[in-house]
Amino acid sequence: MNLPPSAQLQLTETGELRHFLSIDGLPKTLLERILDTANSFVVVGNQEVKKVPLLRGKTVVNLFFENSTRTRSTFELAAQRLSADVLNLDINTSATSKGESLLDTLRNLRAMHSDMFVVRHSQSGAAHFIAQQVTPNVAIINAGDGRHAHPTQAMLDMLTIYRHKASFDQLKVAIVGDILHSRVARDQVHALTTLGCQDVRLIGPNTLLPTAAEDLGVTTYNDLDKGLEDVDVIIMLRLQTERMDSAFLPSASEYYQAYGLTRQRLSKAKPDAIVMHPGPINRGIEIESEVADGKQSLILNQVGYGIAIRMAVMSMAMSGQMQQRQVMEASQ
Amino acid sequence: MNMLIRQARVVDPYQQLDAIMDVHIADGNIQAIAAELNIADAQVIEAKGQILCPNFTDLLAYLRQPGNSQKGTIASETRAAASAGFGTLLPSPDTQPASDSTAVLELVQDRAKQAGYCQVLPIGALTQGLKSTHLSNMLGLNKAGAVAFSNAGYDITDNTVLLRCYEYAATYKLKIFVQARDAALSHGHMHDGILATQLGLNGIPVIAETLAISRHLQMMQHTGVSCHFQQLSSAAGVEMLRQAKAQGLAISADVDLAHLCYTEQQVQGYSSQYHVQPPLRHESDRQALIAGLADGTIDAIVSAHQPHEAAAKQAPFADTATGMAIYDIFMPLLLSLAAETDLSLLQLTAALSKQPRTLLGLEANGLTLGAVANLCLIDPNLSWQLTSTAQQSQGANQCLQNNSLTGRVTLTLQHGKATWQAHD
Repeated sequence: MNLPPSAQLQLTETGELRHFLSIDGLPKTLLERILDTANSFVVVGNQEVKKVPLLRGKTVVNLFFENSTRTRSTFELAAQRLSADVLNLDINTSATSKGESLLDTLRNLRAMHSDMFVVRHSQSGAAHFIAQQVTPNVAIINAGDGRHAHPTQAMLDMLTIYRHKASFDQLKVAIVGDILHSRVARDQVHALTTLGCQDVRLIGPNTLLPTAAEDLGVTTYNDLDKGLEDVDVIIMLRLQTERMDSAFLPSASEYYQAYGLTRQRLSKAKPDAIVMHPGPINRGIEIESEVADGKQSLILNQVGYGIAIRMAVMSMAMSGQMQQRQVMEASQ
Repeated sequence: MNMLIRQARVVDPYQQLDAIMDVHIADGNIQAIAAELNIADAQVIEAKGQILCPNFTDLLAYLRQPGNSQKGTIASETRAAASAGFGTLLPSPDTQPASDSTAVLELVQDRAKQAGYCQVLPIGALTQGLKSTHLSNMLGLNKAGAVAFSNAGYDITDNTVLLRCYEYAATYKLKIFVQARDAALSHGHMHDGILATQLGLNGIPVIAETLAISRHLQMMQHTGVSCHFQQLSSAAGVEMLRQAKAQGLAISADVDLAHLCYTEQQVQGYSSQYHVQPPLRHESDRQALIAGLADGTIDAIVSAHQPHEAAAKQAPFADTATGMAIYDIFMPLLLSLAAETDLSLLQLTAALSKQPRTLLGLEANGLTLGAVANLCLIDPNLSWQLTSTAQQSQGANQCLQNNSLTGRVTLTLQHGKATWQAHD
């Protein structure tokens, strides 16, 4: 199959998902399948008995080299609802701080015969590296690597849009804030453009916009009011307070003046525009409380969708991985 | 040795010669060179289809000793250099401890002499320990063999220290080698472009190079020191040096082979073998480097050979060590560059022999009658595989490991002695 290099590692020879590392290069049909599968799992979350047996007997290891209680709990819950055995490893407090290399840590974990690693790491490309090192036995799900990718977060945002808006090709979507450091923003852009969205806008000051961002197929704006004109979807990004210390921004208050989403600014968008945020939100820095809690906000819905998306991706990657294993065993 | 190399394509930039010739070598010297020679009892090498040229001089290589013999040794890396056609090389002062003492310089030169593959002319550390605070004993180091001084990849950010370094070097007419990069702007891991954005890696912008060039040029004009710029990477950098040369400044420059052959696209998929400093840049930068070499803005091609142990490249991209072990693939890459561009073999061999030697004031090594035989013979059509047994460098960071390659040095002569011979 003729796929971009970013996608080759993630798919089996027949185009099934076997690792989920980044949205970059994945075909539209696959993204749509993830959304449809996740949509069916939203229902599971509302049932009395929330478990399905898709990952029964499988071991999922949450490998978090960087703290993130929120992301880790949704992955844990997703794995449990799929009936998997779950092991949580917070590596930043154990092996690597004693000087063990990532490769040695992986070799040890490989010996435990796990079936899936959910990986969070502070370095871009860490999940790719791990997939290259442990393949073909273990499926890797990227739960955020450096500023590169966070594909499950991006897909849960897509699921939110999918459930609350019309088809992607009619939508105008604005992503606002610290695009430069955001692993989610890159995957959101890839997902939106792949799903057919024609008008994606990145809004922020030049210090927080990545180099050559327009080459991703988006329009960049420095002026929030202009950028929000007529949009259907507003995705706010979290601003890390460290950015002030490293000279990206002068102060939180000046940032709020220029890029904070207030009721007045929200009125520039379409009246039925939806507001999203990956959380945790900084009230009064990125977003006004009244907007965050207002009727156009879907911030809390997103959390529930996050579990459904993770269930979808984990079950699909595991099935692709099993398929690959059978092919390999048959050829031996 | 009494050797007759028959019907080789002799490419000698010293004489602007590119012709099929016979060359007779005996007692370490070139005894005769003519369209056809018949020498009784000489060992005959039938070299039809092969290229015979002066062996190469490398203005930048990392030999790793002392301090990092897990990456490579002087013996292993000079052997690899000889197998790539090099006869002379200038090792970086970035050793552990740094090459800032006569003891280290003596060790480097002694080990090289023992190994016997290449003439090694060390670059001395410009500041003590390459720490950018105190001047090194430049006069003493110069007497101990340092042919130039450099602070390696470490930017001297304090302008007072840099000014003093240059004033002192100018006093004794010592040559400065500069790797022009602004420290603070070079904290990234690849070229600052769309791919860096996509991969989420910190970019290194072109101004990291141009700001540094402009600063060094002004320091140089102010002090009168003679500067050689190493490892240019950008179109804007080449243009600055072109203008400086046009103004008559006594400067020279080099580019490493990887930057002539590769672009940032190699990093696709987080390929850590292409994690280098300065970073591989855009295709337009690569084309400007080629043009700079063609019009003489850039004087020399260097290897910037940097061997590493395997583990140094096995981590998420940003955590991997920078640098490429390139000697083993040097000749295949050079020949592919010749095939792909308008650069002639005369131009390429000039940038690898005559020009680097001239800018250092080293004796000529052309193929003239009576000259010492410092040669290499290249088979441009030889196909071979870079297996671990074929590999000469100790460096495990081979970006074309197990690939099929075309073109190989079949014989290197240094002072009339064979320092490399390909066996097949």
